[in-house]
Amino acid sequence: MTTVRANGITLHVQRLDPVAPALPGGGPPPTVVLIHGMASDTMASWYFTMAEPLARAGLPTVLYDLRGHGRSERPATGYALDDLVDDLAALLAELAVTGPLLLFGNSFGGTVAFGYAARHPERVAGIVAVESSPPTPEWMRRVRTRLHRVAERLPRAGAVAEIGARRGPVAARRAADTGRMLADTTILAELPASRLPSAERLAAIRCPVLCLYGGESAVADLAPTVPGLLPQARVVVLPGEKHSVLIDRPETVRRHVFAWLTERCGLAVAHPAAP
Amino acid sequence: MTTAQASTLAELTEMINAVLGDFATDQPVTMDTTFRDDLGMESIDVVSLAGRLQARYGDTVNFAHFVAQLDLETVGELRVGQLVEHIDTSLAAAGAGDR
Repeated sequence: MTTVRANGITLHVQRLDPVAPALPGGGPPPTVVLIHGMASDTMASWYFTMAEPLARAGLPTVLYDLRGHGRSERPATGYALDDLVDDLAALLAELAVTGPLLLFGNSFGGTVAFGYAARHPERVAGIVAVESSPPTPEWMRRVRTRLHRVAERLPRAGAVAEIGARRGPVAARRAADTGRMLADTTILAELPASRLPSAERLAAIRCPVLCLYGGESAVADLAPTVPGLLPQARVVVLPGEKHSVLIDRPETVRRHVFAWLTERCGLAVAHPAAP
Repeated sequence: MTTAQASTLAELTEMINAVLGDFATDQPVTMDTTFRDDLGMESIDVVSLAGRLQARYGDTVNFAHFVAQLDLETVGELRVGQLVEHIDTSLAAAGAGDR
């Protein structure tokens, strides 16, 4: 297992180096960083959907488990947005990734991407946010509600066993682990109370942005607010899809991402055909 | 099963048990063992195994490319034997078949 010591904790990291020759046009390609969602997600959601096609298209790709998640360390505290952005900045420094970045975030991972861009706008060449939002008070209210709902449900007698009966022992083990994280850390209190970037800081994010939503997901309520925050954003709502659209429809997500990389980021990447 | 496959299976079994830690299975790992249903591996356990394969075999065995042909559903149905065969094919192609 590959781990890196960053910002005082140990983070589980995977790097995929491009197998294709360098992109035409010269200059080092941007590094893609794939950021997963909160509470029961890990880098696996990106690893099995997007990482390899991006690397194969010529983009060096970094994946990591957020603190408290997957196989990264689970400190008791440090779960505000600023901490998560500090982790990312420290990780990139440890990995000696110094060039431009393409940040991809799923669910709250997208918020970490926007949070990083608000503090380091000069580093970010593009942002893909799947079922996500920039850090706004309305979005953080929704995150709070969602986290508290999970935290109340999981400790109930039989809740994990019921997940096991419905979705199998592996899903039950993951649910039990999510329950432990919510119980053993300050994430429930800290994350929704995060200090948020000012509207000016968000407006200063000028890089290309792609926001993808599932039409059946409650998060898609926020799609109409994105152009007001980030006028340059391409917003795509995929009809009939849920919050888990990245997992459910990876090929559709890849198609939109590669079109955006070519059309908005000026990267001559061909969408690799399925191997 | 060839001798090369048997030796790869033994190495892979060690890596799998290291990844699973306390959750390691008491059942013998065979070519027909499935990662999810038999071993109880989560998707993140499979990613962690990928890191160990990378450390052991370097770029000779491109696990990411191998699993990119699967999705999150079918990766759970993956059999140990499929990975053993992929490793041996990759090593043979790289001319490392005499280990």
